[in-house]
Amino acid sequence: MAEVERSVSDVARTTAVARARAQLSPRERIGRLLENEAVFGYLMVAPAILYILILVGYPFAIALWFTVSDATVSQPIGPFTGLTNLKFVLDDEVFKRALANTFVFTISSQLIQMVFGTMLAFLLLRHFRGRRLIRAIVMLPFTVPVAVGAIAWQWMLNPTYSVVNWVGAQLGFFPMLGGPNWLGEEQYAMISIIVVNVWRNLPFTAIVLTAGISSIPQEILEAASLDGAGWLTRWRKIMAPIIAPIIYIALLFSLVFTFTDMTVVWLLTKGSPVNSTHVIASYAFVTGVISGGLGRGAAMSLFLFPVLLVGALMLLRNLKARTLD
Amino acid sequence: MAAITIPRATHGRAFRLRRLRGNILFALALLPFVVFALFPVYWMFITTFKQVNDLYNLQDNPLTFNLAPTLEQVTYLFQQTNYATWAVNTVEVGAVVVAITLFVCIPAAYVLARMRFPGSTSLGIGIFLTYLVPPTLLFLPLSQIMVGLGLINTKWALAVVYPTFTIPFCTWLLMGFFKSIPREITEAARVDGCSRFGALFRVVLPVSVPGLLTIVIFAFTLVMQEYVYGLTFVSASDQKLITLGVVTDLIRGDIFYWGSLMAGALIVAIPVAFVYNLFMDTFVRGITGGSLK
Repeated sequence: MAEVERSVSDVARTTAVARARAQLSPRERIGRLLENEAVFGYLMVAPAILYILILVGYPFAIALWFTVSDATVSQPIGPFTGLTNLKFVLDDEVFKRALANTFVFTISSQLIQMVFGTMLAFLLLRHFRGRRLIRAIVMLPFTVPVAVGAIAWQWMLNPTYSVVNWVGAQLGFFPMLGGPNWLGEEQYAMISIIVVNVWRNLPFTAIVLTAGISSIPQEILEAASLDGAGWLTRWRKIMAPIIAPIIYIALLFSLVFTFTDMTVVWLLTKGSPVNSTHVIASYAFVTGVISGGLGRGAAMSLFLFPVLLVGALMLLRNLKARTLD
Repeated sequence: MAAITIPRATHGRAFRLRRLRGNILFALALLPFVVFALFPVYWMFITTFKQVNDLYNLQDNPLTFNLAPTLEQVTYLFQQTNYATWAVNTVEVGAVVVAITLFVCIPAAYVLARMRFPGSTSLGIGIFLTYLVPPTLLFLPLSQIMVGLGLINTKWALAVVYPTFTIPFCTWLLMGFFKSIPREITEAARVDGCSRFGALFRVVLPVSVPGLLTIVIFAFTLVMQEYVYGLTFVSASDQKLITLGVVTDLIRGDIFYWGSLMAGALIVAIPVAFVYNLFMDTFVRGITGGSLK
């Protein structure tokens, strides 16, 4: 009997709650719903996720479709052709060269940047008069738009009016008016592209390193030198391990951006002489945009993806490790 | 206090000499970096103000003015090219991109910085990773999407696409700002009966104005920096943004208008460089995902 009574009162209570809920206006009900952390959270992130899905995810899917179809600018929805594009791309001598160039440019500029970036970082860490001004000057290449910097270099390396050659001739490196044709000859053009990449990214490497090094607690370094640790030991055993995660991320960004960029190559050489200085991105641009071969161009662009994926996974591990702290 | 006398006056000559030598070595080490960084900008500057006869003269020292400086290249840029139109386009597209970025980033950054709900960490990381996706991977499909939307060859195509890189970057920067706001003030607002939206708009945003301004500036300068999407989507001269216009329209066939080209480039570069220099540390923090405190 008692049990029945209790269950009856339970029923009464739930119906009362239901009735109270029914009496809430829609506005109030939405208000209630938003008090839920998860609902509110998803709602707030939704615009960002949607934007990225529509303008990054969806185009990526289309790129994949282009790769396996005979899509051209005049006929974007081409017939399915399987791996024909990929095979064509892999048989293309210019593309093979572009692929190799991309690695050569990225790795060599990255190495040079790391060496000189570390030097520059230590120079900038010293306190001296006019440090802010010097820092601003040294940062210039990174802070001016990349296209602007590249076009300035093109003018500096102009075959007839190259100021680099004029200075070189004055210093006795080349005969007057007889310096190298920097952008017109294969070897020189490749060197020029690497130099401009280094010019552009060196400040970034240096600034990340300075920020990292100056975040190291001074006491640790002092304690170490009191204990007799030399400069090299302090660098290897204390500074390098502490700043490693930062360097790692900066390096990753720098790598991915250099690997996938076409601005420097496009503004300096457009791939010339005789297609010897193309990178993946610039050759994909020529194939897909200028010649209108969307399928083949997309297949070329996709070669950028594995590097991107590795970069993303490494970054992911790093970020996950940090959020667990 | 008086007991601690710094023996500056007693520094011997040997010490001073050693210090001087150290300073000279230091300056010599720094000099190549300064020259390497500064020279192209100096070259832009001197090219801008040289007379044409001076510019294309192989006899004289190119590093200085051999004829009186002139403004004719700058005048040409403003009168004979679409430079003014490009500047207006940049402001218009920049404004739209900033608006979209703020609208999308503020809510996302707020909840990702403050709340834990299933999948929140993964969503945050997912947004960050999008920043790695380069234009050169997506320019072909995106150009077809722009054809479909009827935006191809208009500046609005850029206004739609640019948020794909401003959103990831700015969301992470904003997350950093929001995390630095004490939780107590939002909690106090909530206890006082503020809704979650109310807490964001009435409490968090007003104290985040510096952070929001940084976002606005970054979104805008990222727009000024971009080149690849512009090159792919826009070929009509009057639709170009400033950077693209300068590096494409001042080359007619094989003829480069170097003076005006450098003038246009310099005018874009100076403000962007100035802003980036002011916000360099913030920029580094943004790009390293807040791993620098």
